[in-house]
Amino acid sequence: MAAARCWRLVLRGSGLSLHTAAEAAVKAPEVTGPDVAAAPVARYPPVVASLTADSKAARQRRVERWQATVHAAKSVDEKLRILTKMQFMKYVVYPQTFALNADRWYQSFTKTVFLSGLPPPPPARPDTEPAPALDVVALRDAACDCLLQEHFFLRRKKRVPLYLEHEAITSPFLDQLVASLTGLLSARNPALANAALDCKRPVHFYWLRGEEIISHGHRKGRVDALRYQINDKPHNQIRISKQLPEFVPLDYSVPVEIPVMNCKPDKLPLFKRQYENTIFIGTKTADPHCYGHTQFHLLPDKLKRERLLKQNCADQIEVVFRANAIASLFAWTGAQAMYQGFWSEADVTRPFVSQGVITDGKYFSFFCYQLNTLALTAQADQNNPRKNICWGTQSPSCGM
Amino acid sequence: MALASRSARLALARLGRLGLGSCGAPRRGAYEWGVRSTRKPEPPPPDRVYEIPGLEPITYAGKMHFMPGLARPVFPPWDPDWTPPKFRRLPPLHEHPLYKDQACYVFHQRCRLLEGVKQALWLTKTKLIEGLPEKVLSLADDPRNHIENQDECVLNVIFHARLWHSTEDIPKRETYCPVIVDSLIQLCKSQILKHPSLARRICAQNNMLSTTWNRESTLIQVHGSSGAQLNAKDPLPPIASQEEVEATKNHVLETFYPISPTVGLQECNVYDVNDDTGFREGYPYPYPHTLYLLESANLRPHRFQPDQLRAKMILFAFGNALAQARLLYGNDTKVLEQPVVVQSVGTDGRVFQFLVLQLNTTDLASDEGVKNLVWIDSDQLLYEHFWCLPVVRRKAVVEPVGPTGFQPETFRKFLALYLHGAV
Repeated sequence: MAAARCWRLVLRGSGLSLHTAAEAAVKAPEVTGPDVAAAPVARYPPVVASLTADSKAARQRRVERWQATVHAAKSVDEKLRILTKMQFMKYVVYPQTFALNADRWYQSFTKTVFLSGLPPPPPARPDTEPAPALDVVALRDAACDCLLQEHFFLRRKKRVPLYLEHEAITSPFLDQLVASLTGLLSARNPALANAALDCKRPVHFYWLRGEEIISHGHRKGRVDALRYQINDKPHNQIRISKQLPEFVPLDYSVPVEIPVMNCKPDKLPLFKRQYENTIFIGTKTADPHCYGHTQFHLLPDKLKRERLLKQNCADQIEVVFRANAIASLFAWTGAQAMYQGFWSEADVTRPFVSQGVITDGKYFSFFCYQLNTLALTAQADQNNPRKNICWGTQSPSCGM
Repeated sequence: MALASRSARLALARLGRLGLGSCGAPRRGAYEWGVRSTRKPEPPPPDRVYEIPGLEPITYAGKMHFMPGLARPVFPPWDPDWTPPKFRRLPPLHEHPLYKDQACYVFHQRCRLLEGVKQALWLTKTKLIEGLPEKVLSLADDPRNHIENQDECVLNVIFHARLWHSTEDIPKRETYCPVIVDSLIQLCKSQILKHPSLARRICAQNNMLSTTWNRESTLIQVHGSSGAQLNAKDPLPPIASQEEVEATKNHVLETFYPISPTVGLQECNVYDVNDDTGFREGYPYPYPHTLYLLESANLRPHRFQPDQLRAKMILFAFGNALAQARLLYGNDTKVLEQPVVVQSVGTDGRVFQFLVLQLNTTDLASDEGVKNLVWIDSDQLLYEHFWCLPVVRRKAVVEPVGPTGFQPETFRKFLALYLHGAV
């Protein structure tokens, strides 16, 4: 009879931790009998909130139990699966967007500070020999060859009309340029020689930031996290197997403030959809080339300079470049960090750095991004002084 | 008035509405859409004033509105001087400016030759040698040309192309075939540190090649784009020596009677005879180095058989070589002192075909004389099969995720073809 009662207790013990804690508390004095008891052992089980009650404490306990499963996940794939398996309505963020002042909105979504100009160069180490002089003439010749090949020398089947020029001429030109320059510069940078070059491979990232009160539905009035997803397709990207060194230390405090937007993201305009939550850097987790080097983006025809000038949006030209850089590079570095096992409750211990080049075929802008924090959820961001930093140049300075 | 009675005229109008023309036969596109009640009414017949010859009717055309008492104006039918491209009809073939009486047999990138390699050899007056030439194989076996951890790198490339590069569980051939070829070329390019002359090359796509030649009184043309092409600033050195080239005079080309040698080619009367390498004059990379032909359709019937793929490789490499030779040495048919060499790699993502073609002569009309040479290494597997998901039988993993039957030799040949000319 007693044996049967113990057996039933043990079977149900996995769900009800009260009983298991009681058994542990009962057994503990016998185990540590011979040693000097360092801390007084509690004679009663820990008083914790209920798991199933309809209360904030119970919800908090359930959330913590879910976070504990993520912490306890053995592989990165399992961790990502637990973080992304539940689908809810989320905002779909498009890096290449026509929305006005999108870069300020994206800075607030990703907790990024934008600094103009390029990051400070690393301090020159005295022990390494000086790098060989850069053969600018050869690089310029290679770039001119790529440009002339696509625009002039190559005889195509039909004369390409203006509206198809973008995908038929500028796109292969950018492919060729990246390939040639990577080849020529691999003498100075051996990491480039062993790098992986992707063409039009997707990059996805899913994150939570901020909270809102649900306005209608059966959960009306309750607090809900805001979820975002970026599905990007950079034109080219270079991935390496060793991480790029940081530009500034992890806890570097930037005096510039992040813009705070007082309206809901719907005003951007940003729309909600529910579909698969994916986190992808361009390859799966098993690939040894899991760190990013540079991304190259080609702006579509819809966002070209002449069109924006015709719409009287001359100040939005730079905004388009900046918004694309911040969103794409944040997604890429965030996904790289998640591939290493970091997430919002387990913040990054080293900064993740990537670079980006955004062009519309004629004008180029260069961006550098340093991810210092992934803790963007309301719970994790309460005492988080770190900010992500994005450096960027203006576009008219480098016209081809 | 031809039909005086009103009933006869109405009957004619009804015939016209039904889609039957004046002679009663239905005109083209005779079905008229629309419920009879919603169709537009036919225009009223012109006023009787127009039947009187020599009389100028006074109409309300100038007043721009109807006026009772004045005749209804009859306007000439509107002639739109421009048709939208959607509705334009092509002129009949005979009126095309490039029409010629002699038919030309054109080989384009979707032509499947019935006799495969044999037919391609006859069309290009070429002698086949199995296996790659010694020069190229020695490049493959030379350990100085190997990349560090070559096998590991190639395995990573296979994993990346077949499994890692996409979020799907099992990527399709249309995505993994170009990815694997691009990654292998990128891996070969990493040798640029050891051989700086690899930088004197560029890749081009979608160039339109066009060359024509006479083969025993039939005109044959290669026309179209062959996919990705590697061009170099320096020409490839000839492989076979002068003696071997002279020895091909004794070789007899294999015929396949009763099959005509032009079966599978597209016969057309509208063609242009001018040679075109696909690039304008002054192109800094004038010499074609290697052509990469991909068979990346998902369905097997849409892909070429290995024999047909090899034939396509021979013909496109020959077309490039002939256009290059005519550009360098002129249009007259002769034996070349400096033969032109072009390479080609064809694959469907798993099986590779390697080809090196040496053009010795542009005198292709007769069957005698010096022949061109081609070295083919066919059906080189890079790996036997790739398991994207582990095979589990009775809770034990029988086959792990990864390629089975990996052959590193195939990549060494790929690398050798890439380095040929730059080492």
